Amino acid sequence: MDLLPTPGQMEIASLAADFFGNELPISVIRERRDEPVVVDRRVWSESAELGLFGLGIAEELGGAGCELAEETLLFREMGRRLVPGPFLPTVLGARVAALAGQHETASAILSGKAAVGLALRRGPDGFDAATTPSTLDGRFQLLDAADSRYVLLLDPAGAALVETAALTDVHSEPAIDPGIRLAEARADAVPIIAWVSTQEEPIRLRALVLTAAMSVGIAEATRDLSTEHAKVRVQFGRPIGVNQAIKHACADMAVRAEAALSQVLFAAICVQDGRADAEFQALAAKSVAGRFAVENASATIQVHGGMGYTFEHDSHLFLKRAHVLEHLLGEPADHLARLVAQPAAQ
Amino acid sequence: MDLDFSKEQVEFREQVRTWLEENAPREIRPEMGPAMREYDLAWQRTQWEGGWAGISWPQEYGGRGLSLLQQLIWFEEYGRAGLPGIDACFVGLSHAGPTLMTRASEEQKTYHLARILRGEVIWCQGFSEPDAGSDLAALRTRARIEGDELVVSGQKIWTSFATLADWQELLVRTDPEGSRHHGISWVICDMHSPGIEVRGIETIEGGAEFCEVFYDDVRIPLENVVGGLNKGWSVAMSTLSFERGTAFTANQVRLASTVEKLIDLAKERTGPDGRRPAIADDEIARRLATARAEVASLRAMTYAGISRNMHRDQPGPEGSMVKLFYSDVAKKVYRLAFDLLGADALRFVSRWEPGGWSGNYLYSYSVSIGGGTSEVQRNIIGDRVLGLPR
Ligand SMILES: Cc1cc2nc3c(=O)[nH]c(=O)nc-3n(C[C@H](O)[C@H](O)[C@H](O)COP(=O)(O)OP(=O)(O)OC[C@H]3O[C@@H](n4cnc5c(N)ncnc54)[C@H](O)[C@@H]3O)c2cc1C
Repeated sequence: MDLLPTPGQMEIASLAADFFGNELPISVIRERRDEPVVVDRRVWSESAELGLFGLGIAEELGGAGCELAEETLLFREMGRRLVPGPFLPTVLGARVAALAGQHETASAILSGKAAVGLALRRGPDGFDAATTPSTLDGRFQLLDAADSRYVLLLDPAGAALVETAALTDVHSEPAIDPGIRLAEARADAVPIIAWVSTQEEPIRLRALVLTAAMSVGIAEATRDLSTEHAKVRVQFGRPIGVNQAIKHACADMAVRAEAALSQVLFAAICVQDGRADAEFQALAAKSVAGRFAVENASATIQVHGGMGYTFEHDSHLFLKRAHVLEHLLGEPADHLARLVAQPAAQ
Repeated sequence: MDLDFSKEQVEFREQVRTWLEENAPREIRPEMGPAMREYDLAWQRTQWEGGWAGISWPQEYGGRGLSLLQQLIWFEEYGRAGLPGIDACFVGLSHAGPTLMTRASEEQKTYHLARILRGEVIWCQGFSEPDAGSDLAALRTRARIEGDELVVSGQKIWTSFATLADWQELLVRTDPEGSRHHGISWVICDMHSPGIEVRGIETIEGGAEFCEVFYDDVRIPLENVVGGLNKGWSVAMSTLSFERGTAFTANQVRLASTVEKLIDLAKERTGPDGRRPAIADDEIARRLATARAEVASLRAMTYAGISRNMHRDQPGPEGSMVKLFYSDVAKKVYRLAFDLLGADALRFVSRWEPGGWSGNYLYSYSVSIGGGTSEVQRNIIGDRVLGLPR
């Protein structure tokens, strides 16, 4: 047992971090707030060339052959740096296409030619666990689907990939987070081009872990932002961090970040190893990391005073993304209801 | 990153589990007094005889010389078996023992360590004083040097199990001229020495382990100083880092099984609407689920801490994060238990009896005070983990 990432795993994460630092610094979100998409096609293709979309996909299916552990570290890095763009649904969409045997679709996604947006169902989960669905119906909220050829839907029964162009009534909506693009859409008997059931592959658990990993990144980045500010901002002749109201707020952020990180790494391994309590651990990770990211980001605005209330500062971007992540893949209350219904952890 | 235990470690877990099933004491632990001392020592002795004492202690001091991971496995199984805490033996096993191992002379180690493991002696911790609690360095209990002896006068307070203890890890001021952190010594004190008077203090749960200890010219051989005269502060700091380290694992596992018991209880008991089981109440269900998520995180944090410690000799300041999170979660969990019982919670049941939720609820107020308050842990995290200015 060793919960900490190995040097090799940290190296993968830091290579990705360097790339994001150069190509998608947080300022991009502000610069492109009025553009239809946040990540342009050049950066998207470079991400594909780096192998970011297929990191956790087996080599024979066109991926890099790493595991969920490495993907988790990658998404934690994205959370830390507030990387915009549909990385999560693209990574998972490539997996769905590959596992469903849709190799052309998979390679279009992996090569960066086609991106995948995320579809969040409005209303109750639609698919019947017993049958393989062939079409998609209902109303959806879309995330980062504007320039995406496909959208991915993650239901408890399984994951479905459809073509974005087949959706109707698509209209964009203003988003609370300038780093994402929101839209509403409808599906009327839209053909499903790739389907992977939950029995075949726990895609939804992977999604929970990766979303939680981004939340962890936010909890850590806001802890660091606050700590740094507490060291350098001087009031009453001393750094504000000497005051316990600030110091203790930072300490609480450190504890939340550590708790969330530990649980997310733990859950990643449980899902990767197919442990019996994988769902328990993934739900716990999503719940803890989601909430702690929001709490850390909120506290960060307070620690920064007036500056924390400006659009120019990063605090609000972290807070807004933390809220987006908390509402992905089901509501927090839904995750808690599922968690309490699980058998005890292993 | 892995959660794999080797074949050997898995077998070890099986052995621990079987052994605990067959050998754990079946009688309810006496709540106080000499009977409790006998109970705790007898249980420690049984562990020693079974070869389970001091799993990660070096063999030369009577330990098994096994890894931190095996120690973790032991604590996990121990907590899972629902066994009582190591209470009266805690200071010896988790404080004094590890401190002596890293800081004491060979003679001190040879004499004391095996006695702790064999369940022959109880240790207590004489750190806090009436005017030196969180501010431990304000301690005033004075020890003057006379020949080859220290002569101690002063008072300690909140000393758990002092009435039952044989030995004490005692912090005294040996150099009154020294600044706050200098001139303190960490001393092994024989609790049966003339001049020591112990008075009990009752706790909010009716417990009797709390004590005041008075020292009136108590003579302690100079050779009982550990880690050098006037250098006790750094010794004390390592003692506290051990307290906040792996010793905590059993408590945390016990908390996880408490949450599982509460979920079962919420399925059996009628909830606040008087009709449906408590678990059907959304607020209760969410609080239970949150407790599950948080105790899971606590365990993961412990694993992360052990993973870090496997790569170094001494636990670092991160232990304070586990301690702080544990205190917050434990208080929430026992409050939830209390709320779940409704008016039945008003009936007092001691935490040593089955269904002792009200006793445990009251006890939970101590977890954010003992072993350094939560505010002090936040100071440590701010200063030493985050490097904030003081
Ligand atoms: C169950 C239990 C068992 C114990 N066992 C032992 C034992 O065996 N041996 C032993 O030596 N001691 C023991 N203690 C004592 C324990 O270590 C002290 O109670 C603790 O360190 C706090 O000291 P105090 O009680 O003097 O409170 P104080 O230090 O007076 O604190 C009072 C309040 O002020 C806060 N405070 C104090 N200083 C600061 C600061 N700088 N910043 C922010 N807030 C501050 C505290 O957090 C607390 O809320 C035990 C305590 C308990 C509850």
